Amino acid sequence: MKNFNYIQPKSLKEASDILKKKPHEAMLYAGGTDALGLMKQDIIKPEEVVNLKSVPGLNYISYTNGKGLRIGALTELAEIAENPVISEKYPILRHAALAVASPQLRNLGTIAGNLCQRPRCWYYREEFNCLRKGGDMCYAFDGQNKYHCVIGGGPCFIVHPSDLAVVLLALDAKLTVFGDRKTRTVQLKDFFVSPGDDYQHENNLKAGEIITEIQIPELPQDAKSAFVKFRERGVWDFAVVSVGAVIRKEGSKVISGKLAFGGVAPIPWMDESLNAKLPGVALSEEPVAQLVSEILKKAEPLSKNAYKVPLVRNLTKRLLLEL
Amino acid sequence: MSKDSKKGGISRRKFLQGVGSGIIGSYVLTPGIAKAAEALKKNSEKLILSVPLTLKVNGKQAHLLVEPRTTLAEVLREKLGLTGTKVACNNGECGGCTVLLDKKAVYSCHILALDAEGKEVTTIEGIMKGENLHPIQQAFIDHDGLQCGFCTPGQVMAAEALLLKNPKPTRQDVLEGMSGNVCRCAAYPNIIESVLAAAEKAGSETAELK
Amino acid sequence: MARKIVKSRYYGDEGLIETMAEVPVDKLKAWGPDAELKVVGKPVSRLDGYEKVTGKAAFTFDVSLPRMTYAKILRSMVPHAKIRSIDTSEAEDLPGVLKILTHKNCPVIPWHWGTTVLFDTEVRYQGDEVACVVAESMQIAEDALSLIKVDYEILPFVSDPSEAMKAEAPKVHAWGNIIDGKPSLYSRGDVEKGFQDSDVIFEDTYSTQVVVHNPTEAHCSVVSWDGDKLTVWDSTQALFGVRDAIAKSLSMPASKVRVIKKFMGGGFGGKLEAGKYSVIAALISKEIGRPVRIALDRKEMNLSVGNRPDSVQKLKAGAKKDGTLLALSHYSFGNVGAYPNDADCSWPLRTLYKCPNVRTEEYSVLTNLGRARAYRAPGHVQGTFAFESMMDDLAEKLGLDPLELRRKNYTEIDPVSNRPYTSKLILDAYQKGSEAIGWKEKRKPAGSEKGRFRRGIGMASQIWWGGGGPPAYATIKLNEDASLHVMAGTQDLGTGTYTFLAQIASEVLELPIEKIQVTIGDTETCPYCSLSGGSMTAPSVSPAVRDASEQMKRKLISAAGAILETSESNVKYSAGKMSRLDDPAKIISISEVIEKLDEKMIVTTGAREANPEGYEINTFGAQFAEVEVDTDTGKVRVIKVVAAHDIGRVLNQKTLFNQLHGGIIQGIGYALMEERVVDTYTGKVLTTNIHDYKIPTIMETPQIEVIIVSSGDLLISNTGVKGVGEPAIIPTAAAIANAVYNATGVRIKSLPITADKVLMALSEKN
Ligand SMILES: Cc1cc2nc3c(=O)[nH]c(=O)nc-3n(C[C@@H](O)[C@@H](O)[C@H](O)COP(=O)(O)OP(=O)(O)OC[C@H]3O[C@@H](n4cnc5c(N)ncnc54)[C@H](O)[C@@H]3O)c2cc1C
Ligand code: SF4
Ligand code: FES
Ligand code: FES
Repeated sequence: MKNFNYIQPKSLKEASDILKKKPHEAMLYAGGTDALGLMKQDIIKPEEVVNLKSVPGLNYISYTNGKGLRIGALTELAEIAENPVISEKYPILRHAALAVASPQLRNLGTIAGNLCQRPRCWYYREEFNCLRKGGDMCYAFDGQNKYHCVIGGGPCFIVHPSDLAVVLLALDAKLTVFGDRKTRTVQLKDFFVSPGDDYQHENNLKAGEIITEIQIPELPQDAKSAFVKFRERGVWDFAVVSVGAVIRKEGSKVISGKLAFGGVAPIPWMDESLNAKLPGVALSEEPVAQLVSEILKKAEPLSKNAYKVPLVRNLTKRLLLEL
Repeated sequence: MSKDSKKGGISRRKFLQGVGSGIIGSYVLTPGIAKAAEALKKNSEKLILSVPLTLKVNGKQAHLLVEPRTTLAEVLREKLGLTGTKVACNNGECGGCTVLLDKKAVYSCHILALDAEGKEVTTIEGIMKGENLHPIQQAFIDHDGLQCGFCTPGQVMAAEALLLKNPKPTRQDVLEGMSGNVCRCAAYPNIIESVLAAAEKAGSETAELK
Repeated sequence: MARKIVKSRYYGDEGLIETMAEVPVDKLKAWGPDAELKVVGKPVSRLDGYEKVTGKAAFTFDVSLPRMTYAKILRSMVPHAKIRSIDTSEAEDLPGVLKILTHKNCPVIPWHWGTTVLFDTEVRYQGDEVACVVAESMQIAEDALSLIKVDYEILPFVSDPSEAMKAEAPKVHAWGNIIDGKPSLYSRGDVEKGFQDSDVIFEDTYSTQVVVHNPTEAHCSVVSWDGDKLTVWDSTQALFGVRDAIAKSLSMPASKVRVIKKFMGGGFGGKLEAGKYSVIAALISKEIGRPVRIALDRKEMNLSVGNRPDSVQKLKAGAKKDGTLLALSHYSFGNVGAYPNDADCSWPLRTLYKCPNVRTEEYSVLTNLGRARAYRAPGHVQGTFAFESMMDDLAEKLGLDPLELRRKNYTEIDPVSNRPYTSKLILDAYQKGSEAIGWKEKRKPAGSEKGRFRRGIGMASQIWWGGGGPPAYATIKLNEDASLHVMAGTQDLGTGTYTFLAQIASEVLELPIEKIQVTIGDTETCPYCSLSGGSMTAPSVSPAVRDASEQMKRKLISAAGAILETSESNVKYSAGKMSRLDDPAKIISISEVIEKLDEKMIVTTGAREANPEGYEINTFGAQFAEVEVDTDTGKVRVIKVVAAHDIGRVLNQKTLFNQLHGGIIQGIGYALMEERVVDTYTGKVLTTNIHDYKIPTIMETPQIEVIIVSSGDLLISNTGVKGVGEPAIIPTAAAIANAVYNATGVRIKSLPITADKVLMALSEKN
């Protein structure tokens, strides 16, 4: 790991200014669980590491009846998993937080860091100078792509690694972003960028921009939610695929809902046309089977990941039937 | 649609054809390394200084001077001689280096020493009273929750964090609480027994006190 | 006690060992099945438990010496290249850098049987040594590595063994890509005729992946010179082997090299050989006049210090309708990486069952990847997966119960040598194991389960050597305070060596275990024992300790006789006290005897006796696995494993069960998740950390039931112990694969049995 200056800004403005001034040399640092990994592998070599934790007031969970939930960017995943209000009102968020990494990493890793973590593609993490690192080819495309995307890929074929992003997407979350001395609000679904648009960034944060808060709207009383993460080992592994569902139903019929998928695309995946088909679907074997056969209809699996399509469909089916 | 024609998809095979079969053309390493060298030189001109750090480890203050990139594990092991903390992966993937930070388990190899400032660090050396074993340590001996012993200090610290939070864990709680610690010897069945036994013993002792 | 020199012949980690050894002339009588042992076999807590749970155990990784410096190796980033030039000037200018060694300034020291040298000008895999920096700190050494400029002339490479076997493949070494240029062959009987006579023929191809040891403590040495004397703390399973290899490399007498290893964080076979890193550190240390620590990192562990070779195994079996095997043939090749090793895996097929006609043909293939090494039951693990999977397939084809097929082909004598076994209790293992898993009651026909989660039961047999043999010695020292010190040049890998050595002395001399201290892991102070691999340690060393202890007892009796003025036969020894049989009031303690002798201590040295002539010594066992397959995802969960083994006498129930748990769970890793993944276009490894390289976690822990069907092998040694380290892992993967088949009706023929494979196979079946 290359040495760096550790900057301890006292305000968002101070942090943002440094980041903006040195877009290539400075890096924002929260729990560091991802950043440190990248630095140890020399994938990023920042000269200034800007410790967001020195900015006060970014670690909170606050819930207002009727309005919803606000989570400070620096809130650790363990806090989210253990928060009683979240367990009661947004159990799906708790599930996703608990499904991340390991207990020790959840004690340090933050929610914003989770959304902004870099890809896990093994070529990216190893000494391959691939497209995403400024090189001129994607090694995964016809290489070892078992864990890569089946939809939305090209020219880079990562999957987005965040577990929380999947449920936050299904929960219709918004982000508050500070930058340029003001804040903006961005819908999570507009936050992530596809490699087709920009294959070196996973989100549309601009230099100097910092996520300060994640907002989750109040869920209707009758909303049901569920999250499932499929991984090969019982802990630590990233999702091979994951599914988050937030559904309103009447009797056994869906009124409306959202399905979001992880591990299938370079961004946390939501298919509006699929969600449009949800209303009216009866949550029983036949109609659900029919519905899930629509999932990833346009998938173009790579040489080693065709299994992800049936996997996602099976998991979604089970999830919906067990809602 | 063939994969090669995909939006911007650059085929590896195509790429390789361009540079001769089987041999990779992208391995001219010198320029990359030269660049790194330049950067490092530049760096030394910019002078990244070691910075002062006050750590509270096992109840004692230590005043140190560290390079910012130094991890907590490096400080514990190399500067403070606390070699009970083991490093096996140095990347947050095994738990060997588990210590407590304000009573919560963290991987000391995967946190900057500077980030531990102002917090209470507890290592395996800090949970004993003199030469007297902590009940979790005794349980690991009694139930043989170890083989080579390299992962053991980390296991004990993870167990300590778990029991501090949840003194009466179920078997499932133990699995989850200890899940951030790999044991390559795979002494897992006995590790589970050790943690359960330690909890039970602590439970029966508090019951006796009452 | 009288000794003689004999030819010793036994199987070690990678096959037959033949050597001369000094052994006792008279064998002590083995403890019989009804021997009333008070300490041996009991669940005694580990002697080294305190050190390990407190973090006080000094692993090599923890050794720190005054003025110590830190070394880091620069390794090739490419799979095959010639080094045109290396420029270390900038790195040398970095403050704190003390020395850089490359092929330009390093003596030519042959390595891997002369197929390369310490720093070669040709690198043959990603991870081959290019240079080594020694600096004032680890961080400086690492910084310096990035300043070394290497200009490579890229050479063609090959990473797939089936490609490497082709004539036109790039050559890893000028002499070719197949070890010895030919297959290793074995045959007995007339295989063609055997197949002709068979009612049923079954053939198929099975394959296994490369897996990496990944012990938690990385390979590590700390070296320190004292004039012409070198001390090496090394994380090793083979003290004396490392000593001799280092001495030879540095052209110095072995007596000038001392190798120390107190505690080691796992080895699993990967630490049986001396590493280049130790020699490199010693060379530099000598030059700079300061101690050097060289510790590999996790990436180096995954690239450069060995692995279990993969295998492609084409098997064919011919049997009569009733299941009697008539012919077996085995063709296989495996990837040994860039330097010689072997990938042979047909031993289980040759020896597990009675079969008159057998032929095997095996190729060990070189590629431009990290070299294979012994890994916990080398060959047997790969071979057993394929062969025992095939036995189930054959049973299915014959319409027989798989367990019946195995019983049917039970053999009393070793089918290769035609010698009888010293003991073989595999039928008991079948019986007790099958009862414990519920074979009869719970096991349903393959694929008959319905629903999302499908359960199945499978089993596999195991054979391994593990009898150990001489030479192995132990010295014991009885002190005036009646405390005892056992010394043996062996190793504890977490296997409980410290503890069982003490137990045996405690048993014989009836001294409390707390009064016994054990020193192992030091070539200078301990008598010779062989390496710790192949389940040899306990069967080799435990009899030597018993021999020394019995001698000690006799000495004490003899001394007591003299002091108490009576004949030896009139002296009774009991718990550290000697009394006259005819006058029990006349009693003397160890302390009093030693005081009277004015020697401060009594010393004896015991030796492992010779193995019995004309026998084969093997361990046997069977494992039964119950799995649950999630047909939605393809994920396999192991619910329960019953491990029934014949391993001779149990020395310590606690550590033995632990060993078995460990082997089984590593076997689960092998069966379900572990795999070194290589990008074949670039010849580079993608799994260089233990996140992408998947090691089982606590979440993968099944219920495990251990059944030991043996009580002590009366023929092999005075303790009757056979080893258990390797047997534990051998049948696990096959038992799981067979259980997956039983659950789903789908046969996964290539390891690891990952969810994607199962899911795709299930959907193909439907
Ligand atoms: C072994 C291992 C296993 C893991 N497993 C999982 C898993 O299963 N699932 C999963 O989802 N994740 C996993 N992770 C990723 C884990 O690092 C994240 O989940 C964690 O939450 C990241 O948070 P952090 O605060 O540590 O981020 P950091 O490492 O501090 O930052 C990560 C990135 O986010 C940026 N960033 C941080 N905060 C902000 C902000 N407020 N505004 C803008 N940018 C910001 C940083 O600049 C950096 O680029 C794993 C990590 C490891 C090491
Ligand atoms: S998928 Fe993306 S990150 Fe991975 S090799 Fe291809 S370009 Fe690089
Ligand atoms: S050494 Fe820190 S997690 Fe592995
Ligand atoms: S005891 Fe060896 S790694 Fe856990």
